[in-house]
Amino acid sequence: MTSKRIQFVLLAIMLTIPLLAFSQDKLTGYQVIENVYNRATGTEMEGNLTMTLINSRGNKRIREIKQYIKDFGKVEKKIMFFIKPADVRNTSFMNWSYDDPGKDDDQWIYLPALKKVKRISSDSKNDYFMGSDFTYDDLGDRKPQDDTHKILREEEFNGEPCYVVESIPKDKDYMYSRTVTWVVKDKWVGLKKEFYDEDGEYLKTLKINEYKKIKGFWIIIKTEMHNVQKNHTTKMDLSNIVIDGGIKNSMFTERMMRRGLK
Amino acid sequence: MRLTRLKRIVLSLILAFLVSGVQAQPNSLTGYARNYIGVLLQGDHEYSIIQNTLNLNVEQSKDRVAFKVNPYIYQYPNEDMEIGLREAYLDMYFNSVDLRIGKQQIIWGKADGVFITDIVSPKDLSEFLLRDFDEIRMGVTSVKADYYIGDNTFEIVWLPEFTPTVMPPEGSIWRPKYSFPVQPVFDHSREKVTPSLENSEFFAKFSALTSLVDFEIMAGYAFDDDPTMHVVKSINPATHQLTGLTVYPEHHRLTIGGGSFSTTLGPFVLRGEGAYYNGKYFNSTDPKLPESVVEKNYLHYLVGLDYTLWDIHLSSQFIQQAILDYNPLIEKDEYDNMGTFLASRDFLNETLNLQLFIYYGFNNNDALIRPKVTYDLADGFELLFGANIFTGSAGWFGQYDNNDMVYSKIKYSF
Repeated sequence: MTSKRIQFVLLAIMLTIPLLAFSQDKLTGYQVIENVYNRATGTEMEGNLTMTLINSRGNKRIREIKQYIKDFGKVEKKIMFFIKPADVRNTSFMNWSYDDPGKDDDQWIYLPALKKVKRISSDSKNDYFMGSDFTYDDLGDRKPQDDTHKILREEEFNGEPCYVVESIPKDKDYMYSRTVTWVVKDKWVGLKKEFYDEDGEYLKTLKINEYKKIKGFWIIIKTEMHNVQKNHTTKMDLSNIVIDGGIKNSMFTERMMRRGLK
Repeated sequence: MRLTRLKRIVLSLILAFLVSGVQAQPNSLTGYARNYIGVLLQGDHEYSIIQNTLNLNVEQSKDRVAFKVNPYIYQYPNEDMEIGLREAYLDMYFNSVDLRIGKQQIIWGKADGVFITDIVSPKDLSEFLLRDFDEIRMGVTSVKADYYIGDNTFEIVWLPEFTPTVMPPEGSIWRPKYSFPVQPVFDHSREKVTPSLENSEFFAKFSALTSLVDFEIMAGYAFDDDPTMHVVKSINPATHQLTGLTVYPEHHRLTIGGGSFSTTLGPFVLRGEGAYYNGKYFNSTDPKLPESVVEKNYLHYLVGLDYTLWDIHLSSQFIQQAILDYNPLIEKDEYDNMGTFLASRDFLNETLNLQLFIYYGFNNNDALIRPKVTYDLADGFELLFGANIFTGSAGWFGQYDNNDMVYSKIKYSF
């Protein structure tokens, strides 16, 4: 891996470099999740993200975002420009995520109505992102050491051989009591993930509807999160993907947050 | 800005031309239409406002240049329309420098709803502090240059012409209440600051955005946006009784230095902001003063904390104004303390928002309480119901104790 993995605004359940040194039969649940976490995806990524929110009556709401992500070594920077709906247009969001496990992310939001860049706390990872069914933590970078992992079984899912891994958070106050992930062997892509709430009740399911190889990296193109308790669904589609296209360092600055997509 | 019929026609034509012209190839044509109705809770439940608004943002960019024009129309039943340009500027982007020239809103500082170092753009207080903040902050014609070094920015601003705070018109329920022993006569002959190079305003700011802390350091050589009320008394020489008052509003030069910061402490965001004002004038009852005003320096500062608890976003601020070298005859208190509190929570996948914002004045035990409910009926279509409750009998908020109101806003953004 050339440097730290690229975090995408999709669940980071991806392919990792096959670790040939391991015998897959001897892998632990932790190693499976660690392999997913440490997958290689290049150092830069840009793309358009379209979120379709579908409520229980079938009504749809659309959010569109342009995002840029770059790995600087010890820190990964991401900037997102909101395009739709109209009332959030020109809002931007920037996140700096650090390799240091003891260091919290730095986050800022630019609100065009206030014309201010505001620092916000990254502590609220349980908040839902733009009204979707994804929390910031779902979209982010949950570290393998935050949970205890166990391989429940091995089975085929969508025609692909998978490890089924149960992950239980070490923090008992975490918003999920456990998750179960179907990870494709060799590709290390999570095809499906079930989330259970604090009371142990089935909450929601994430499914990967499409992924493909771009510049040698497996990239998730379409995902869908369905909250069974609220009967609410969020679809996320990624388009215009560019990997390692040469994003300038100056993209991840207050200057660009204010300027927007000009 | 109230306009004559001729000006309205001209501006309407400009607006129509602008919109139709840029429709050929607009980079972006966005904006909103809004209906706003407010009803007073006291008396005969008169309408405090019935307003229809069209706000447009026309933007185009190409390579290293861009422009933005933000015309707006406020329409009131049976009244002249209010038409204006909130912003109209050109941008030029260079490698390390951005230039913005034209009418623009310039917002500084880390405070929310309080103006300490945020003094470049004056305020439109036509409706006190009740308008949305992008409508309170007025655009000012200026030249702004930003020089970037990594995550640091050095900004200088030149305002060739001074623009004062817009006060509510005579007869408005938001007109501040002045306390004079007899009915004064206002003489505005000294109020206007003659446009000239000498009367320009200058501001500079250095800001940094870092992992540890964001901060700004600023300085300004400006005029006080709020006029000082110079009071000339007429005394009957025979009886030594006060027979009349003439009030001369006048804007004085101010030199300001200050700064602000914002940082995270675990789940908290800690914010601070402060400024030292040199050359501020205050009204005084000292009979030795010829115009009942005295020049004093003063400090204005704030500390704020943001936090999220049980999905409720909470924010509170404590603000203090302190007059230095204080004299008890000064009408304003030596220390003026104020607090703000915000609680906000989203429901139904962020389609429903409940919010409560409170300004509280410690000196007069007065407050402005602003609960509101916002519901997104569809993308960009927003229904808002709220109330503005004034408590107390004196002070910045208490003076409007009879102006409690409920209101609705229906807004469509496009």
